[in-house]
Amino acid sequence: MKQTQREGGRRTGRTFSAGAVAGILALTVLTAACGTGGGEGGSSTGPRRIAVITPSHDNPFFKAEADAASARARELGYEVIVSSHDDDANRQDQLIDVAISRGVSAIILDNAGADASIAAVAKARDNNIPSILIDREINATGVAAAQIVSNNYQGATLAAEEFVRLMGETGAYVELVGRESDTNAGIRSRGFHDVIDKFPGLTLAGRQSANWDQREAFQKMETLIQANRNLKGVIAGNDTMALGAMAALKAAGLGHVIVVGFDGSPDAIASIKAGEIKATVLQPAAYIARLAVDQAHQLMTTGSTGQPEKQSIDCELVTPANADAFGVFARK
Amino acid sequence: MHARSVRRGGLVDRLMRLRALIALAVLVVVFSSLSPEFLTTGNLSILVKHVAVNAILAIGMTFVILSGGIDLSVGSIAGLCGMVAGHLLSRGLTVESQGVTVYFDVWLVVATALLAGMLLGGINGWLVARLRVAPFIATLGMLYVARGAAMLMSGGATFPNLSGSAEFGNTGFPWLGAGLLLGMPVPVWLMVGLAVVGTFVASRTPFGREVYAIGGNERAALLAGVAVPQVKLAVYVISGFCAGLVGLIIASQLGASHPATGETFELNAIAAVVLGGTSLMGGRGTIGGTLIGAFVIGVLADGLVLLGVSEFWQMVIKGLVIVLAVVLDQFQKRST
Repeated sequence: MKQTQREGGRRTGRTFSAGAVAGILALTVLTAACGTGGGEGGSSTGPRRIAVITPSHDNPFFKAEADAASARARELGYEVIVSSHDDDANRQDQLIDVAISRGVSAIILDNAGADASIAAVAKARDNNIPSILIDREINATGVAAAQIVSNNYQGATLAAEEFVRLMGETGAYVELVGRESDTNAGIRSRGFHDVIDKFPGLTLAGRQSANWDQREAFQKMETLIQANRNLKGVIAGNDTMALGAMAALKAAGLGHVIVVGFDGSPDAIASIKAGEIKATVLQPAAYIARLAVDQAHQLMTTGSTGQPEKQSIDCELVTPANADAFGVFARK
Repeated sequence: MHARSVRRGGLVDRLMRLRALIALAVLVVVFSSLSPEFLTTGNLSILVKHVAVNAILAIGMTFVILSGGIDLSVGSIAGLCGMVAGHLLSRGLTVESQGVTVYFDVWLVVATALLAGMLLGGINGWLVARLRVAPFIATLGMLYVARGAAMLMSGGATFPNLSGSAEFGNTGFPWLGAGLLLGMPVPVWLMVGLAVVGTFVASRTPFGREVYAIGGNERAALLAGVAVPQVKLAVYVISGFCAGLVGLIIASQLGASHPATGETFELNAIAAVVLGGTSLMGGRGTIGGTLIGAFVIGVLADGLVLLGVSEFWQMVIKGLVIVLAVVLDQFQKRST
C-alpha cells in the first residue's frame, strides 16, 4: 500500500514536471512571437494605435464605454488595444507602461482613482502620449489632454427632482449609496440631498452603502424593510443597487415602493418598461467615449482638441414615457 | 481511534461551541437592546435567510478544512454555476450542428449547475490528491479560472429575467431563492438539511472519521489504510456542490445572474469555519460550530445595518470579531 502510493506519487511528479517544462517553453516562444509582432506594428510604418483602458467589463457601463471608443477608433483607421484595470491603480500603471512600450498615439482612460492615477497619466504625457480621460476626473489639471465626464451632480439633481415628484413631496425614504471611497458616490449623494432636503415632508429613514453591488443592495434592503415597513421610496446611487432593492421590495410584497436609480443601464431601462423601477438618469457613456476618440484624433491631426480640458456632458432623465428612446448608454 | 477522538474531541468541541455561542448571545443581546426591530420575527427570518448563503458555503468548506485543506475557489464556482443556470434559463442550449436551441426544465437546469460545481470541485480535488498541488495553490488557480470562465459566458454581462417563460416551460426558478416551504424560506431549509446531513456524515460515518483522520495526521491515516486520495477528492466535490447551490440561490433571489457574484465569499466562509472552532490545521472541528460561526457573521452584518453603522466601521468590527475569536481559540488550546 505504502510502496505503491510512493511509486505512484513519484511517477506523477515526473510526468507533471515534464509537462510543465514543455508548457513554459511553449509560452515563452508564444510571448516572444507576440513581442516581435508588437514591435513591428509600433514602428512608424504600421497603423497608428489607440489604447482604451477602463474598469472591469463585467459592468455593462464600462463595456459600453470601451466598445464605443474601440468602434469609433477603428472607423478612423486606428488599431485598438483594449484592456481593463479592475479599479486597481497599480494594474492601471502597468497597463499604461504596456501602452507606452507598444507605441500608442493616444490613451482613452477611465481611471482607477482621482489621485492614484495622476502619476500614470503624467508618465504617458512625458512619453509624448496624450491621455483623454472619460467618465471620472483626476485631481490635477494640465496632465491629461482632456477630461470628459458626465455631469454627475446635474444627473443626481435630475433624479432627485423626479423622485420628489413621484413621492408627492412626502413620505419616508431610504438612500443606497455607492462605494464610499468613490468620488462619484459622494457627488451623487450630495446632488440627491441638495434637492430632497428642501422638502420637510420627505424623511430619510435609512442610509446605507451597498458598494454599487446588486446582491449587497438586495440583502441590505431586506434588512432596512424590517425597520421601515411604511417605506414609500428608495433612491439609489446606481442602477445595479436600484435593481437589487427592487428585487427585495418585490419579494416582500412592497413592489409599489418608488425606486429611482442612476446610470441608465439596459437592465434598468428594461425594468422601467416593465413598470418596476420608476426612473433613472442616463449617463451618455457611449457618446462620451466616441467624443474622446474624436478629440484624440483631432489632437493628433491638428495639434489641439479644440476644446477646454475639462468638459462635462449632461445626463438625461429616463422614465416610462421616454424609455423606448434609449439604447445602450446613449439615445437610439 | 474512534473512541479516543470522541472522548478528547468531545470536551474541546463543547468548549469551542460554547465560545462561539457566547459571542452570538452577546451580539443578540447588544443588537436587540439597541434596535427594537432586531428581535421581530420578520427581521429574524430575513437574517436566517442571509446567513443561509454563507452557512452553506461554510459547511462544504468545513469538510475541506477538516481534511487539512482549504478551498479558495468557492466564490468563483458559485458565480460560474449561477451563470450556467442563467445561460440555460434565458438563452437555452444551442446545438450548432442541428441549428436548434433547447430549453431545459428548471430541475434539469439546477442539476446541470450543481454538476458543474461538483465537476470544478472534482478538478480541485484531483489536483490536490493526485498531482499533490498544495490546496491553497490549486484552489487559487480555480478561483481565477472559474471567475474568468463566468465572465466569458456572457462577455461580462448579466443574464436578466431568470423567471423563465411559460412558452419554453421553464418557469419556477425564483422559488429556490425566494420561495417559502411551510412558512420558511427555501434557502433556510437547504441550510438546515445540509447541516443535518453534514453533521451525520462527519460524526457518524466511516467517511467522516477518515476526513478527521487525514486532517489529524495524513501519514498515519495512509498507514492505517485510509484511501487518502479518494477522500480528499470527495471533500472538494462536496465543497463544489455547496458552492454551486449558493450560486443558484443568489441567481434565483435576484432573478439575474452576474458573473462577478461571489467575490470574497470564500473569505466569509473561511471566517465562519474558523469562528466555529475548526482548526485551520485540520482534524478538529464540527459542522454545528461552523453554523454558529456563520450566524455570528450574519448577525453582525445585519445588526450593524439596522443600527445604521457606516460600511467602514462594519468592516473594522467584523475583522476584530474574527481575530478575537481565534485569540480565544489559542488560549483554550493552551489551557487544555
